[in-house]
Amino acid sequence: MSSQSDSQHESALVDGANGGIQPGGYYGRGIPYLPINSYPGKLIAIEGTDGVGRSTQIQLLREWLEVKGYGVVETGWTRSPLMQPTIELAKSSNTLNKLTFVLLYATDFADRLEKEIIPALKAGFVVLTDRYIFTALARAGVRGVDRAWLRTLYGFAIAPHLVFYLKIDVETLIGRVLESRGMDFWESGMDLKHGDDIYDSFRAYQNKLLREYGSMADEFHFRVVDARRSIVHIQDELRRQVGGFLEP
Amino acid sequence: MGKKKNALTPMTFSLLHATDFADRLLYKIIPPLKAGMIVLADRYAYTAFARDVTRGVDRQWVRELYSFAVKPDLVMYFRVPIDVSVDRLLARRVKLKFYEAGMDLGWSSNPVESFRLFQGKVLEEYDRIVDEYGLGVVDAVGSITQQQRVVRELVANHVKSVDAAREIPSEQPV
Repeated sequence: MSSQSDSQHESALVDGANGGIQPGGYYGRGIPYLPINSYPGKLIAIEGTDGVGRSTQIQLLREWLEVKGYGVVETGWTRSPLMQPTIELAKSSNTLNKLTFVLLYATDFADRLEKEIIPALKAGFVVLTDRYIFTALARAGVRGVDRAWLRTLYGFAIAPHLVFYLKIDVETLIGRVLESRGMDFWESGMDLKHGDDIYDSFRAYQNKLLREYGSMADEFHFRVVDARRSIVHIQDELRRQVGGFLEP
Repeated sequence: MGKKKNALTPMTFSLLHATDFADRLLYKIIPPLKAGMIVLADRYAYTAFARDVTRGVDRQWVRELYSFAVKPDLVMYFRVPIDVSVDRLLARRVKLKFYEAGMDLGWSSNPVESFRLFQGKVLEEYDRIVDEYGLGVVDAVGSITQQQRVVRELVANHVKSVDAAREIPSEQPV
C-alpha cells in the first residue's frame, strides 16, 4: 500500500526503531502532537524472555531507587486499561492471527506511552518498564512478521536511556520455569503448532526467541546482564549500572 | 469499548482501526480475492490516511502502518464539498458521532461546528491522497443516478480490461 518504491523503503527503515537514535528521543517519526524535546525523567527498560526473573529485579530496583529518593513509575507489557481486556480475550479465544496480535500489542503500548510513560517522564520520574518494544519485536519476528515493518511501526516509541537485557540459556530457563509456575501455552509458542508436546515446543520457541533478542542486542545497545546468577548478584549489577547512570 | 469512555488518543485510535482492518483483510477480503471474487470495500486504508493525519498522526507513519494491505485494483473517491456533507448528515440524523465529528480534538464544543472543521481538514487530506495514489474521483454532489452511471462506467472499464488481460481458460476435463 505504500506509494514508495523499494529504494525509498530503505530510507523509511532509518525512520523506524533502531539504535542510531539519541536515548530519550523518539526512535522514528514519533508522535507529532506530543513533542518530547526535553524532560527530566529517565526511561529504563528491563528486557528478557518469559520466566527470566524480570519482575523480581524490577521490584528490588524500585525499592532501592525510592529509598534513594527517586520517584518511580512502573509499567509493563499489555497492562493498559484500554487494551488489556481485549488482549486477554483474544488470547483465550484464539481468533486472532499474528498480524492482528502485533497491532493489538502496539495499541496497548501506544496507550501506555501516551498516558503513563510520557507524563511520568515529563514529571521527572524514573520509569521502570517490565519489557519494552523488544519483546514485541522478538515475538513477532519469530512468527515471521516483517522485521523492517515492525521497526517502522514502533517508530513512535521512545528510545530508553538504559535497556537491560537479562540473558539466560534455554536449559537454565527450563529449570526455572518448571520449578516455579510451569510452562504456559503462549510462552511455549504453542500457537506456532510445532507439535503437541509442550516441553519440545517451549524449548524450540524459547530458543528462537533468545536468538531474536540476541540479534537485537547490538542494534539497540542492550546492556547484557547474565541472568543465570543469583537474584542478589543480578540486582547488584543493575544497581551499580543504574546508579552510575543517574549519579555519575 | 474505548470509544464510549472518550479515552482514545489519535495514536490508539489509528492503531485500533488498523487492527480491525487487518482482521477484516485477513478474514473477509483476502479469501474471496483468492477465490476469484470481486470485493467491494466501503472505505479502505485511504480513510485512515485522511482521518488519522487530520488527528495529528504522522503522515508517512500511517502509510507504512498499512503497508500490509492489498493494493486495490480500483479506488473510487466520492468527493463532496464540506457544506453538502454537513447538510446531508443533518438531514439524515439527529446526532453526530463523537469521533466522526472530531470532538476528541476539542476544536469546538459544538458538534456541527466541530464536524465542519474536522471533516473539512479530512477532505483536504483526501485531495492529497487522490494525487498520491491516483484515485478515481466521483463527483458526489450529483444525483444518485448520475453517480451510479459514473461508477458503473469506471467499474465496467476496469473489469473489461481485466477480462482482456486474462487468459481464457480452455475447457479441460475435471
